[in-house]
This record gives sequence, C-alpha cells and structure tokens, in this order.
Amino acid sequence: MNNDNRLRRISGAFPRMAIFDIENWREIGTTLARNKTRTFLTGFGIFWGVFMLALLLGGAQGGKDMLLRNFDGFTTNSAIMFSGKTSMPYKGYAKDRSYELDLTDLKRLREALPELRTVTGTQYRGNCSFTNGRYSVAGQTMGCQPEFVDIMEPVMYSGRFINETDMATSRKVCVIGKRIAEQIFPTEKDPVGKMVQINGVSYRIIGMAGQVSEINMGGKIDEQVILPFSTFRRAFGTGDQLDVVMMVAKDKQRISDIKQRMRRVIYSRHYIHPEDERALWIMDISEEFEKIDKLFLGVSLLAGFIGFSTLIAGIIGIGNIMWVIVRERTQEIGIRRALGAKPRDIIVQILSEGMALTAVAGTAGISAAVIALGIMQRVTANEISTPQFQILPSQAVWIMAVFLSLGSLAGLIPAIKAMRIKPIEALNAK
Amino acid sequence: MIELKNINKTYPGAVPVHVLKGIDMHVRKGELVSIMGASGSGKSTLLNILGILDNYDTGEYRLDGKLIRDLSENRAAEYRNRMIGFVFQSFNLINYKTAVENVALPLFYQGVSRRKRNMLALEQLEKMGLRDRASHLPGEMSGGQKQRVAIARAMITNPSIILADEPTGALDSQTSKDVMQVFHDLNRRDGKTIIIVTHDPGVGAQTDRIIRISDGVIVD
Repeated sequence: MNNDNRLRRISGAFPRMAIFDIENWREIGTTLARNKTRTFLTGFGIFWGVFMLALLLGGAQGGKDMLLRNFDGFTTNSAIMFSGKTSMPYKGYAKDRSYELDLTDLKRLREALPELRTVTGTQYRGNCSFTNGRYSVAGQTMGCQPEFVDIMEPVMYSGRFINETDMATSRKVCVIGKRIAEQIFPTEKDPVGKMVQINGVSYRIIGMAGQVSEINMGGKIDEQVILPFSTFRRAFGTGDQLDVVMMVAKDKQRISDIKQRMRRVIYSRHYIHPEDERALWIMDISEEFEKIDKLFLGVSLLAGFIGFSTLIAGIIGIGNIMWVIVRERTQEIGIRRALGAKPRDIIVQILSEGMALTAVAGTAGISAAVIALGIMQRVTANEISTPQFQILPSQAVWIMAVFLSLGSLAGLIPAIKAMRIKPIEALNAK
Repeated sequence: MIELKNINKTYPGAVPVHVLKGIDMHVRKGELVSIMGASGSGKSTLLNILGILDNYDTGEYRLDGKLIRDLSENRAAEYRNRMIGFVFQSFNLINYKTAVENVALPLFYQGVSRRKRNMLALEQLEKMGLRDRASHLPGEMSGGQKQRVAIARAMITNPSIILADEPTGALDSQTSKDVMQVFHDLNRRDGKTIIIVTHDPGVGAQTDRIIRISDGVIVD
C-alpha cells in the first residue's frame, strides 16, 4: 500500500486526541520529574492553597457547630431572668435593695405579654444530701414546673419528666441526674422506680435525665435531682419565690422587642426605678445565638480572605512554573512546530502540564484537609453531638474547579506566548 | 516539485535588510540538490521559506503544485507535517525522548495511535540500521546515530521533500560520508527530492546540482 495513503487512512481512523494520548501524559510526568525541586515547590504551593482553603471552610463550620452545641436542646427564642440588687433609689427605697422574683411575677408576665408562649420558673437548693441508704452524694436540688421542658429539653435516659399531676398533687417523686444516679446506683443501669432520700426524705425516681446544652443555670441537669415545684417548696419551705424565671416567645415574636415591657412588669411591682438596668438581669438567648452567627460570619469572611490569598499565591505559582516551562523549552517548541505541531497543540501541551500538577497537588491538598478535619471532628465529638468538621463534596469540587480554571487562566498567558513564537525563532533559541 | 518565482524577503528594522532579491528556482521531483553560499548570503532564509518556517514578501512559491502563501498557522503546520521532512545541523532531537519516540513525534501530531506510530518509527529506524538503538535517549548516541535518527524522523510521514540544513556540519568526515550515503540512498532508492544547504564544497559535490547564492541572488 502506498505509504501516503496508509498515513491518511491511519489519520482518519484515529482522530486527533492528543490530550488523551498516553505519551502526552508520560511526557508531562517526565517534564515534571526532570525539575523535581521546582515541581515540588510549585506543587506544594498549590497543595497548601487548596489545603488551607478546604481546612478553613470545613473548620469554620465545625467551630460554629461546636459553639452552637452549647445551645442544643435549648430553645433559642427564649430569655432567662434573674433578680439582682437595685442600683438606684426609688419611691422611698434605698439603692442596693434585694428582692425576689416569685409566682406572682410569672402570672403578671403571662398576662402582660401575650407574645410569650411559656413563662415558668425554677428554684434551687444546693448542698443537699442524696442517698439510697448505701451510697451517698451531695448535690443540688431543683424545683421546676412541667413547662421547664419547653425551654430546655432534657435528655431522658429513662422514665419521664415532671408532669402536671406531679405538680397538682405535690407527689414525692423526682427526676435524677445521670451523674448523681451513677454515683448512688453504681450497679444499676436504670434507677427508675427506686427510692432516693433527699436530706432524709424519700422520693421515688420517675426518670433519669441529662442535658445537651452547655448553658448552666445553677448546675447541669446531670448533676441535680429535680422535684416538682410544688413538692420542692413544701420540702424546703421556700414559698412562692423563684430563683430563675424562664420565658419562650411565640413563633415570629422576638424577645428583644418585648424585653423592655418585661422589665416594666417586674419593676412596677417591686418598686424599681424604670432606668435601673442592673436590678434585673435578662439574658436573651436569641441575642446570644445571633452573636455567634455574626461572629462566625466574621470568621467565615476571614477564612475566605485567607483562603483567597493562598489561592492567589497558588495560582501565581502555577503561572510562574508555566512561564519557566515556556522559557526553558522554547527550542523544543520550535522543533515541534517544525514537525507539524499546531498552535493549539502547544497550548494543550503547556496547559496540561500546569493542570496535571494542579490536579495532583490539589487532590492531595483536599485529601489532607479531609483527613485533618476528620481528626478534628473525632477529637471534638462527644456522646451527644459531633461538630461537622468537614467539607461538602460540592465544596471540594468547587475548590478544585476554581484552582484548575484560575490555574489554567494563569497558564494561558505563557501558553499563548509559546504559541506565538515563530517556529524559526524558536529553533534558533538557545 | 518546487517552483520559486521572483521571491523577495526583507527583514524589517531600523535598517531593513533585503535578504532575498528575486529568487527564481526550480527543483524537479527526485532531484538531489545543494544550496551553497557564504554566511549571510540568504541561503538559510531561503531554506526557511522552502520549509514553510518563514514567510516571503513577494513572489510565488509552489510546492508539489500547491501555492504556499499567506497560510494560516494551522495549515502551515499541516503542510510541514505531511509534505516536508527536516534535518538540522544540531539534530534537534528532543533529549528526554527515546529514539523511537523522537522518530514517531510527527505522527503524534497526525493523531496516530501510539502503538501504530511506534511500529512505523521502528520500521524507519530499521532502515537506518538503528533498530537496536530504538530505546536509547539522544544523549546515549553518537553524532552520526543522532543524525540518522533525525533523518528517520524526517522520513516517517513520507514527505515529498527533505530539507537538510548543514546536515554534516556537526559531524566528522567519516560520519559525514555515512550521512551523505543515507541521503543518496533515499534519493536513488526511494526517489526522494532532497535539498541540502551547506557551505561544504565536498557535500555540494556529492549532489546532482549546486545552486549558488550570493547576497540574496542566485548566481549559478
């Protein structure tokens, strides 16, 4: 067969797919391997850029989850109220006067603020003795109403929480904190139904509870014994007084909008100067929540800025290596042009070297970030929740796509320069 | 085969240099000719125009009947690839590619599969007596071997003409003779049209015809 015809037949049978040709990739490997230090340094720049960007994105989410974990189980659209000391004299009362919140305040708050879904209160008594006759431990007792669960939902390990019947009949029942239960019932898996003595008085255990939230009001549920409010006031003779008042706003209502009216309800009854901010401490949980959101918006922006900077550094690295490749290989480009390489063949060759390096180093960067985030997640996880120290597959793809496309763009300028070199000039280059 | 009519070429600059001044030249199919001239006579510029590596300003150049003028980069690359085989003084092999890969390179740009082009490259190396050197890098070969690899590379696309720029300039006299023998064989046996640019009268004497160029004009 005529050689010319043979070549044409071969050419027709195998369309131009230089980029998929194994020799192209072998060549890329050879070129990159020939300049090990340069390849390593550039690759490391890309690796570091991708690694940092992925780590910052995944880390920011994990950090936010860790902080928000403090609010788990806690209704965010809520507020907690403590009485303090007055700091201004008012209506014949001197300043520095103490006062107590009580059940009447709850009633008045409910009446004056229809925006509130729940208004409830708790009492605490520390240094109580808990015993089952065999094991003893000291701790805190809390008295609360069934509505307590609307604000801070306890984790019920077994049994149930205080209900309306317990309250109405002042039943001598209690919910025991998990940590307390472990200490006085070390061999029992489930202490529900057993008796526990609090300061010498026996109560039947109806549930074992703990809490997810890190918010502490006089102690964690795990480390307390909880009595129905009515039972508590009878046991400790505390009357109507409340240590903490808790409120939950109805849906679409904001605590911050009704905070001043809350104050007015309390102040008018307890003769407190309307401008005495220190007499009543109101913690708006939703505000705290928003603060964290804002903090993390800032953290995300900072992470974005740092990530963007490393990205730019990586891309400059890619552009730089491509520039060096073109300069070093000008004569080779000339030889290839003389042998029939079209301008686009040269562009593909130069770009594919930069892109191969970006793809390999970038994938390594993403993988390293995933491993690092996995370790962070494992270290910060607890039995109740696991912060999401991870990047989404879509984020990983996005990072790689940005690096590859911006990297190509950076490499395009040297590649176009390579393409524009006249074969004869390139052949004469030394 | 090759027809040049009144070819002019001027390199622009502060002082424009008129390198080729109305070159008329005709090379028949199957001829082995040499272009001789002193340094700066314009012989390399002429070779570059013949090899479609450079453009000319005015005149007409026909290669195998095709008018070579104002070609796009892509079309010029295609013509170089399919119609012309180049042999350079400094071999111009790619030093990190083996002999067979160097020879196969022009076929890479035709999209020929790796297996096929390596097979064809091995055939060419066989013809040059270099089959056993197929997997060697240029750095592991002698000057004569390198030049024969370069000739094999020039031949692999079965081009109409072979353009050789001082092909023996970097070789000793015995190796030069061997390389010239290869050109003779290609010319006589395969009927290839070969144009050799040289300043070596010994090389010129071995060709069918000598075209002498001086100061941009063909003098003989």
